[in-house]
Amino acid sequence: MKHFFLASLIAGAMALPAFAADYSIMAPAGPGGGWDQTARSLQTVLQDEKISSSVQVVNVPGAGGTIGLAQFASQNKGNPNALIVGGYVMVGAILTNQSPVTLKDVTPIARLTGEYEAIVVPAASPIQNMDDLVKALKADPGAVSWAGGSAGGVDHIAVGLIAKAAGVDPTKINYVAYSGGGEALAAILGNQVTAGISGYGEFEGQVKAGTLRLIALSSPERIEGIDAPTIKEGGLDVVVENWRMVAAAPGLTDEQVAAINADIEKAANSDAWKDILKTKGWTNTYLAGDAFKEQLDKDVASTESVLKDIGLVK
Amino acid sequence: MSEVPSSRKTRRPDRAAFIIAPALIAAAAVIWWDVARLATTSTYAPIGPATVPHWVAIGLVILGVWSGFEAWRGDFPKREAVAIGPVVWLVAGLAAQMLLLRPAGFSVATGMLFALTACGFGRRKLWATIPVGIVLSFIVWVIFAKLLQLSLPAGPLEHLFF
Amino acid sequence: MSTFEFFLQGLSVAAQPMNLLYALIGVTLGTAVGVLPGIGPALTVALLLPVTYKLDPAGSLIMFAGIYYGGMYGGSTASILLNTPGESASIVTALEGNKMARAGRGGPALATAAIGSFVAGLIATLALAFIAPFIVKLALVFGPREYFALMVLAFVTVSSAFGDSTLRGLTSLFVGLTLAIIGIDQLSGQTRLSFGIPDLLDGVEVTTLAVAMFAIGESLYIASKGDSEPDKIEAVKGSVWMNAADWARSWKPWLRGTVIGFPIGAMPAGGAEIGTFLSYAAEKRLTKHPEEFGNGAIEGVAGPEAANNASAAGTLVPLLTLGLPTSATAAIMLAGFQQYGLQPGPLLFASNPQLVWGLIASLLIANFMLLVLNLPLIGLWVRLLSIPKPWLYAGILVFATLGTIGANPSVFELGMLLAFGLLGFAMRIFGYPIAPVVVGLILGPMAEQQLRRALAISQGDVTALVMSPIAALLFVLALLAIIVPLILRARGKGEVLSQLAANED
Repeated sequence: MKHFFLASLIAGAMALPAFAADYSIMAPAGPGGGWDQTARSLQTVLQDEKISSSVQVVNVPGAGGTIGLAQFASQNKGNPNALIVGGYVMVGAILTNQSPVTLKDVTPIARLTGEYEAIVVPAASPIQNMDDLVKALKADPGAVSWAGGSAGGVDHIAVGLIAKAAGVDPTKINYVAYSGGGEALAAILGNQVTAGISGYGEFEGQVKAGTLRLIALSSPERIEGIDAPTIKEGGLDVVVENWRMVAAAPGLTDEQVAAINADIEKAANSDAWKDILKTKGWTNTYLAGDAFKEQLDKDVASTESVLKDIGLVK
Repeated sequence: MSEVPSSRKTRRPDRAAFIIAPALIAAAAVIWWDVARLATTSTYAPIGPATVPHWVAIGLVILGVWSGFEAWRGDFPKREAVAIGPVVWLVAGLAAQMLLLRPAGFSVATGMLFALTACGFGRRKLWATIPVGIVLSFIVWVIFAKLLQLSLPAGPLEHLFF
Repeated sequence: MSTFEFFLQGLSVAAQPMNLLYALIGVTLGTAVGVLPGIGPALTVALLLPVTYKLDPAGSLIMFAGIYYGGMYGGSTASILLNTPGESASIVTALEGNKMARAGRGGPALATAAIGSFVAGLIATLALAFIAPFIVKLALVFGPREYFALMVLAFVTVSSAFGDSTLRGLTSLFVGLTLAIIGIDQLSGQTRLSFGIPDLLDGVEVTTLAVAMFAIGESLYIASKGDSEPDKIEAVKGSVWMNAADWARSWKPWLRGTVIGFPIGAMPAGGAEIGTFLSYAAEKRLTKHPEEFGNGAIEGVAGPEAANNASAAGTLVPLLTLGLPTSATAAIMLAGFQQYGLQPGPLLFASNPQLVWGLIASLLIANFMLLVLNLPLIGLWVRLLSIPKPWLYAGILVFATLGTIGANPSVFELGMLLAFGLLGFAMRIFGYPIAPVVVGLILGPMAEQQLRRALAISQGDVTALVMSPIAALLFVLALLAIIVPLILRARGKGEVLSQLAANED
């Protein structure tokens, strides 16, 4: 009896690959956050569209996703069933946390969604447009306090890029980090700071209600339905997109990568996925293949240089 | 939490309590040493990332000296006898769960914790409690991992059924 | 339609039998999951949200409200019965509640928590409905310096309310402050006390510390007493229900807790736990039975529980009126609202009155269902304590670790759980209070960040801290909280000394 039990345990262990899920998606964050929601949405779509019969989501939170990334890269070499969700936040976190594992150690598949940064001021602020803000910044960078997310994150990087483009020393910016968009928004609404920067979605309601003035977006072109110029139009060459992506394990063959690519493309083009984007208020910025890799490299390079300029990376 | 009434009759130096004073001062030293390498990036706030840790370290040193003084005077509350055996069983259970979680999965690891804890409280029949613990943990795993999608690690036992 | 008509309409929809059933299911599920230490209302709602997707909007909204309230109440139940506060807001509940449970008064403790939660939820939800726009204006006045002043006040009042020895209370607090330094410093992005270990970059999770210090530390401590303790706790002494004295001692704390909790919850950086701390401190000052505090005073359960629930409703103020999610729970709720096409923000009350009032009605109904479900169950819950110790503590440890593994299935996290459990055990042996450690971990980073933010915005001008009237007022209150007891003590010294002498005989 004991032997039988042991034998069945071993058999179970050996049969593991056969029983394992078709895809296992790692969300390198706790349940409930943006990456977790992306992973779980992808899970729903892959299953509902019958692309994969069973999909598991695994949460490995911590340190801007770098803990999950490290675990993913080391445990899944050559495993064509493993996926990880990630985003631009990871690019900065890898640099500031000096993570030994980088995005080069996984196989990026596709960018799924994205959001542009919005710069806002309180409605009562004397600052009317980007020009005013840049003028104030040039006059006395310390007097312009920026509220945004945590230090070294997307918002901070964007402010650094703006300062740099405006010819202001990025180490002199007065960036006040808050734990999340909500807290930063309260500080802006309460007139505690000069300007605020965060994803447009965080400010949308306030901008529409007229309590905040949207002065610029970090998109390459104007966005339909949003009445605001781009930072580029103001003469500063700054484009920042806070994107979310899905990547696969390292060490895959070209065929395996192509198969995953096809599955993700099918999911991203499905109506179910589009419905989810709509209910969650996410923007579809699907981009795959070499075009995505190229953009990734560009983002990594510009992020690294600006983090060095701010003094967060040596 | 300190239900132990302080006895005012025995005022001898408390040897065990003497460990606390150096421990607090050591913690202060670690903080001071660690924040020494921090760069002050923001030039606007006069207090940087190292300032508050410095305050905490100073506080720890003061408390360390104070604790040493109280320990010397024997002012610490009288302690009850500690039975080490049961504590070791519980710690072993927690350690077993920690080490088995990845290789053996949630049910087996947590089943061991269950059995060893019960053992610490006097139920020594491990041959009975381990299977009971594993079965209970497996039920918990099914409820939380399967029905509620909580990501609890699965091992060979879980893969046998799912 | 006037607001009141919208409200009545919402109530009539929510009170349909089918919707009442959904509320009951939601409350039951929420309680079942929320009972797990380490799984607070945020995670409970996140886990159970998909369950509600299949229903029609009204039904799913009401089930959602039920899950939310159930998740909160589940946490209190576990704190009171098992001394395993799984989230920061129920730590204070555990302090007095568990002492009551051990003395066979778990029934009244659970009842005062349930009724207090109901009363606070009722008042706060109505306040949300009718005065939210005013409250939110007040909340926005709070900037970094005002928050810093509030934290100072919280530190002062809380530290005076823990333990009988100043040295040991302060030492516990500083242990918490030390742990709070660990991780990435949010304002500069640099790591502190992490020693290059990636798992430490996010710092010590409050829930991990709370579960380790309370649940595991306590289990080790009980185990270390060996066979000297009886195998079972006497679960019920006297009545399971609240007696007349319990009622008389509970109703004022409920109301005070509500008044303290609601506005603090409404502040974007207030946090539910601050309200519970302040309420506990207030009850300890005002009680006629100070000797019972620390040994199971019913006021110490009634007040903080009411504050916790009121502050939860308070969190909805900035969420609904500004679209500001100010806590993890609120962020999850925001995701939930969006599912129902409800877009929180400044225009919500004007553009979507039906949904808002539907939600508020749902919250009221769910709150009521919680009471309906839990009062009859109290008798059953307290029987949990009559489980023989080996099984009870084995179960506690299984559920304590389950919560931690569910939130973060990492071996390192379990290692921290064990290490802090041992720390909590050692501190218990030496008579150190446990709660200040967790308080330090929560308040420390908040105070530090707000102070540094305030000084960055003022470009280093320290006097700016007291230039705001609200901040100045809070600082004065904090100062009074230190000085007044000193004066009282000096004046009443003779009296106290004679009392002490009498006690020693």
